[in-house]
Amino acid sequence: MSNDVWVVADLKIDGTIRKVTFEALTEAKKKLVGGLGGQLCAVVLGSGVSGFEAELGKYGAEKVYVIDSDLLKDFNTEGYVNALGELIKQNEPAVVLAGNTVFGQDYFPRAAARVGSGVAMDAISIGLSGDNKLQIERYSHSSKAIQTQVFHGGATMMATVRPNSFKAEESPTTPEVISGSVELNPADISVKVLELETKASDRPELTEAERVVAGGRGLASEENFKYIYELADTLGAAAGATRAAVDAGYCPYDMQVGQTGKAVSPNLYIGIAISGSVQHFAGMGSSKVIVAINKDPEAPIFQKCDYGIVGDLFDVLPPFTEKVKQLVSE
Amino acid sequence: MKILVIVSQTQDTEAKIQVSAGGDSVDTADMKWIMNPYDEFAVEEAIQTKEKHGGEVVIVSIGPARVVDTIRQALAMGADSAVHINGDGFAETDPFAIGKLIASEIKKLGDFDVIFTGMKIIDEESGQVGVQVAEELGIPHVSLVSKVVEINADAKKAVCQKEIDGGHVVVEAPLPCLITCPDAMNEPRYASLPGIMKAKKKPLTEVGIDDISFDGLGFSKEAVSKEGARVKTTGIEVPQIERKLKIIKGSDEPMVKGEEVANAAEELIKLLREDAKVI
Ligand SMILES: Cc1cc2nc3c(=O)[nH]c(=O)nc-3n(C[C@H](O)[C@H](O)[C@H](O)COP(=O)(O)OP(=O)(O)OC[C@H]3O[C@@H](n4cnc5c(N)ncnc54)[C@H](O)[C@@H]3O)c2cc1C
Ligand SMILES: Nc1ncnc2c1ncn2[C@@H]1O[C@H](COP(=O)(O)O)[C@@H](O)[C@H]1O
Repeated sequence: MSNDVWVVADLKIDGTIRKVTFEALTEAKKKLVGGLGGQLCAVVLGSGVSGFEAELGKYGAEKVYVIDSDLLKDFNTEGYVNALGELIKQNEPAVVLAGNTVFGQDYFPRAAARVGSGVAMDAISIGLSGDNKLQIERYSHSSKAIQTQVFHGGATMMATVRPNSFKAEESPTTPEVISGSVELNPADISVKVLELETKASDRPELTEAERVVAGGRGLASEENFKYIYELADTLGAAAGATRAAVDAGYCPYDMQVGQTGKAVSPNLYIGIAISGSVQHFAGMGSSKVIVAINKDPEAPIFQKCDYGIVGDLFDVLPPFTEKVKQLVSE
Repeated sequence: MKILVIVSQTQDTEAKIQVSAGGDSVDTADMKWIMNPYDEFAVEEAIQTKEKHGGEVVIVSIGPARVVDTIRQALAMGADSAVHINGDGFAETDPFAIGKLIASEIKKLGDFDVIFTGMKIIDEESGQVGVQVAEELGIPHVSLVSKVVEINADAKKAVCQKEIDGGHVVVEAPLPCLITCPDAMNEPRYASLPGIMKAKKKPLTEVGIDDISFDGLGFSKEAVSKEGARVKTTGIEVPQIERKLKIIKGSDEPMVKGEEVANAAEELIKLLREDAKVI
C-alpha cells in the first residue's frame, strides 16, 4: 500500500475537465497529502485525453496516470471500472477521490467493489482521523442530517466529493506522466451505446453555480420556462427545475434539483412556482439565501425561505426581471 | 422470465428526524418505516416486465424482522415470492457488506434475466449497493434508467434510456443485467385489497445469518455489525438553518395584485441587495 492520494479527473461531454477535479486536488493537498506523506496524483481516463498534465499540475498533481483508449469513449462504465480497478490494483494508493457527478455515481462505487474497498459517496468535507484514516462528512436522511464517517481496515479508501464544496486554488507543479499502464480488452465491454444525444449549454452548470433560478410545475408549459431562463441569464445563474416540471416535459431532466436530481448549494437560490417538497429541499436546502415566488401563501416553501413574494409569477416575474436587468446594466 | 427486485425498508425522512442519545445515529423509536420510494419504482417496473413477458418476480431484501412488512407490500403489488435475509446486525453494517450478502443469496436463486433496484436508499443515501451487487454477480448494470425501452428475453438484451449531463443515451445491455431506478420512470401501483390478502400466502423464505456461508465474502460473520463496517458512521448532526421568512404579501388578500406588484418587486430587490447582499 502506498501513501499516495489520487483524484480521478471528471470529464465533461465536451472533453474538458470539470471544476470539481481541481477542487478535489486542492482539498486533498491541504487535508490529506501532508498527513499521509505520499504524492498527489491525478488519473485521466478517456478517449483522446492527452495533454491535461499542465492543467492538473497547476492544481498540485505531482503525477498523472493517463489511460487513453477508444473503449473509454462516451462515459463507458465498464471501461472506467476496468481501467481504474486495474490501476488501483497495480499501485495501491491510500485514497482515491472523484467528483460526485452523474457519471461518478455510476462507475465509482462499482470500481470500489472491484478492488474490495469501502466507499463513501458525496463527501462535503475530507480529512484524516487520529490514526490517518480518511474521515469525511456527508449529507444523509434526505439531506436533513450530516454524518461523519471514518474508514477502517487496510484497503484503499475511496470517496466521491460534492462539486462546489471546496475552493480550487493553484499550486503549480510539473507532473510526471505515466501513460498506458493498463490494456483494455474490447471483449470486456458488454453494454453498447445505441444513441447519444447531448446539447451544450451556455449557462453555468447547476452544481457549480453561485446562483440558481429554478422553476416548478406552476410555470405550466415549456414555453413559459423562458421566464426562468431570462432571469437566470440576467443574474448569470444556472437554471433548475423541480421533478414536477421535468416530468411534465417543461424542461430537460438534467435541470432537476433534489433528492433524485442535482444537489446545489449556491449563495442565492430563487424558486419560482415551487411548493417546497422535502425531496426538492434535499437538493437545495443548504443554499445560503432562498427566495420564493408562489401564489399560494400556504406553500411549504414560505416556511423555509429567507425572502418571498406571494403572487402570480406571470405578474411578478416580468417587472422583477426588468428591474434586475436595470441593476445589472448600471 | 425470472425478474429479481432488491427492495429495502427505509426511514420515512419526510418526517422530522432526531439524533439518538449515542450521537451517531438517527433516533428510530417513533420512526415510520416505509418501502424505499425508489424501490417502489423498481417493483413496478418488474411487475410491468412480467405482465409483458410472463415469468415471475422475486423480491430479495435484507434487514431485521420489521422488513417483512415491506416485503409483503411488494408481494401485494404483484411480486410472486420473496427471500428475506433476516438479522439485526444488517441494519448496522455498511453498504459494502450489504451488497456482498445480497449478491451471495442471489447466487443461490439460480439463473435470472434481470434485476431491478432503487437508485439509492433515502435514509443512509449510500448510493452504491445496486451497482456493487452487479459487480459481485459479474453482470453489467445500467444506472439511472429513465425508461426501459425494451427487454427481450429471447435475444437476451435490455434496451434502456438513461439520463446523463447535457442529454441522454440509449444503451443496449446483454441479459442478465441490473437496472437502477430513479423516480418518475413509471407510476407505482397501490396494493389492492385482494392483493394484500393474496400476499399473505405467497412464499417467503427466511435466511438467517447462520445460513450464510462467509467463504469468499472477504469478511466474517462477526464483521456484520457496526464495529465491522469498513466505513463507520461516528457522528451525526441535524443542522438547523434559521431562515429569515421575510415574505411580501398583498394588502387585501395574500397575493400582491395590480399596483402592488411593482412595489413588491422593488422591495424584494432591495432586500436582496441591502439585507442579504447577494445581488
Ligand atoms: C422518490 C422521490 C424522489 C423525488 N425527487 C425529487 C427531486 O429530485 N426533485 C424534485 O423537485 N422533486 C422530487 N420529487 C417530487 C416531489 O415530491 C414533488 O412532487 C415536487 O418537488 C413538486 O414540484 P413542484 O413544487 O414544481 O410542484 P407542486 O408541488 O405542484 O407545486 C407547484 C407550486 O406552484 C405554485 N403556482 C402555480 N401556479 C403559479 C403561478 N402562476 N404563480 C406562482 N405560483 C404558482 C403553486 O401554488 C404550487 O405551490 C420526488 C418524489 C419522490 C417520491
Ligand atoms: N441496508 C439495506 N438493506 C437492504 N437493501 C438495501 C440496503 N441498503 C441499500 N439497499 C438496496 O440497494 C439500493 C441502493 O441503495 P444504496 O446504495 O444503499 O443507497 C436500495 O434501493 C435498496 O434496494
